[in-house]
Amino acid sequence: MNGPLAILGAGGFVGTRMLEIAALRGRTDIVPIVRAFRSIARIANLGMSYRLGDASRPDSLERALAGCEAVVNLTTGDPAEILRTTRSIYSAAVAAGVRRLIHLSSAAVYGQVERPGLSDDAPPQLDHWMPYAREKGHAENFLRERMAEGRLAIVVLRPGLIWGPRSPWVLRPASELVSGTAYLVGGGGGVCNLMYVDNLVRSINAVVAHPEQVSGFYNVADDGTTTWREYYGALAAGLGVEMATIGTLPGDRYRAGLSGLLEEIKNNLPPYQWLKRGLSTETKNAIKLRLKRAVSRDRPPPWNGSPQPVATRDMWHLQATRNPLPTARFQATFGHRNLTSFASGLAASLAWLRFIGLDEREAVEGAVASAAGVATLAAERER
Amino acid sequence: MLRTHMSGDMTPRLMVVGCGAVVDQYYRGALRKLESRGIARVVALVDPDPLRTAALAQHFRSAGAFATQAEALARAAPDLTIVASPPSSHAEHAVAAFGAGSHVLCEKPMAASVDDAQRMVAAARAAQRVLAIGMTRRMYSSLAEARALLAAGALGNRLRFVYREGGVYGWPVTTDFPFRRSTAGGGVLIDKGTHVLDFLVALFGEPFVATYADDGHAEGVETNCRIGLDFPGASGMVQLSWSQPLANGLRITGSAGQLTLHPWRLDAVRWRRNGGAWETRVSPATWPRDLRRGGPRGTPWTYEECVYYQIVQALRAVVHGEPVPVDGEQELAVVRAIHACYRQATSLRLSWLTQSEQARADARHWSLQP
Repeated sequence: MNGPLAILGAGGFVGTRMLEIAALRGRTDIVPIVRAFRSIARIANLGMSYRLGDASRPDSLERALAGCEAVVNLTTGDPAEILRTTRSIYSAAVAAGVRRLIHLSSAAVYGQVERPGLSDDAPPQLDHWMPYAREKGHAENFLRERMAEGRLAIVVLRPGLIWGPRSPWVLRPASELVSGTAYLVGGGGGVCNLMYVDNLVRSINAVVAHPEQVSGFYNVADDGTTTWREYYGALAAGLGVEMATIGTLPGDRYRAGLSGLLEEIKNNLPPYQWLKRGLSTETKNAIKLRLKRAVSRDRPPPWNGSPQPVATRDMWHLQATRNPLPTARFQATFGHRNLTSFASGLAASLAWLRFIGLDEREAVEGAVASAAGVATLAAERER
Repeated sequence: MLRTHMSGDMTPRLMVVGCGAVVDQYYRGALRKLESRGIARVVALVDPDPLRTAALAQHFRSAGAFATQAEALARAAPDLTIVASPPSSHAEHAVAAFGAGSHVLCEKPMAASVDDAQRMVAAARAAQRVLAIGMTRRMYSSLAEARALLAAGALGNRLRFVYREGGVYGWPVTTDFPFRRSTAGGGVLIDKGTHVLDFLVALFGEPFVATYADDGHAEGVETNCRIGLDFPGASGMVQLSWSQPLANGLRITGSAGQLTLHPWRLDAVRWRRNGGAWETRVSPATWPRDLRRGGPRGTPWTYEECVYYQIVQALRAVVHGEPVPVDGEQELAVVRAIHACYRQATSLRLSWLTQSEQARADARHWSLQP
């Protein structure tokens, strides 16, 4: 590369790991770009120079991208903003003279991957019920049109579930396993399209380092096929949780329970979303506690109640995935191979769960609360 | 004692030095409530950024906006100065306030160095003014309940504790000062650690730092750390993070029972005797809601309410000479502990790093840099 590599969404899960690896290798050609000062906190230990830039505003971003050779878009956040942000990043990259844009999409654009051997160029499912998947699909189509214009090289990567230490896809199942609220759909035979975070970072680096200006869509995933039962089973064994404690849901169709229905109503209710975004975590917890206390008529409400499994629609659909993502095209184009196996990734993930204290049973409910709080904070931060 | 103002108005006057995120998020609402209840009046807002003082001044009609504390003190004579500037400026602003005859409520962390903290305590003593430290968790009724259980010997002896507090940082800071060693003095230890250590000091007394490790590189500040601590009658581990969730909460185990506190459960603790069932206990502790002797009392439910009650306590110390929840001299124990941590800092083992990455992280650790 002749110029620095800009990382948008540098304060997120993947961005943090990407910067950590870069800093530990002594790379000085990486420019983290964050929207707000608070996003620096997660990478503050590295002491890297950063630039401020709002991915939703091309003028702000163009300044931040000045002099950069390539840009990696790792931004996440409100699904409604995905297409607008993608457009903005593209415009800013063109205006700043960036030569290569690497855009992180998601295997979610294909829903449950119902066809085997799905082509990397297969169009996304734009009528998907999940707003995130739908909007990621629209963003892909926007970039597909821009690729044809050829103003800069655009590589769209489609990982599955990005897992590993610090991933919500490790914390969530592990918290559910430990609290006895984990469940498997249809016995867990669905395909869990995992992508270990270090394998993803290496994939991105392979694209950046490629000598030619390649454009295109590429599925990326770990080697081998892992089922949900295998994934949960491996985590459970590492945490000392009996497989028999994992619930089972029928795999023929999604049936929303009361909790699931409430979750769906809440998640599709604009005033609820507005409140969720606008209130501090402490205030939200205080409101919940007050409501609990009102219901219990001033007797102390239970510490955390008896947690019950909540079968969400998104989780049901993910677990009902039928096929692995074919990744041969990416490997052939970029000469990339994954270095971290499932076993190594699992060992690192379990070590991380011990590091955060999740294996200490008495602290479990705190961790579950913490995971919810973190999701809120992460969403707030990315906005 | 309050000053006697020319107008004869005896409503306590407040000056706010530093109008960043903590004031906007937490103090603004509390101060408006105090004004609306006629308990205090904000007379001066100080910040080098005129946009911030102007935005805040919209909520406080009688407050002047000033770029420096010196300008503000030339025009206003506060009874209580709320110091909410970056930690590296706390000593300067507190000492100036004492010099002008004001009492001080200083936001946490009290100071960026032990020398600064001692200077603040000495200045308060010389001026015979109150130096209250804004440790909002002292207002939690869960703390009062935990203290009562420990005092009653409910957990027995040989106390061991684990206190974890971590999550992805979400505080809407308006500068990067909290992430620079030169302006903040450190990272997550200074930020969350101040609260956590103060909470433990309130439970167990003066701490001794046995071990400390963090993940700060040469040019950075720590985002993860672990501390080994000994107190009179208790010992244990604290783990803090700005970058990831932890199994949050304080768990104390003794020869006779266990006690659990969660950072977001302000009102209650959970405890059990060895072999017994867990029991949730809500504290009956309350705080005065205004400055009247024998006036109404209440219990804070949110962090914002803790700030309100904390200001009321500081004002009652000024008006009635009542003790504040934590004063500068008491908070010195926390400042000393934090600096004892930094003095013996080593590189933290991060479980997700490969061996070679950990070796590189060790070599880049800030404590090894000249």
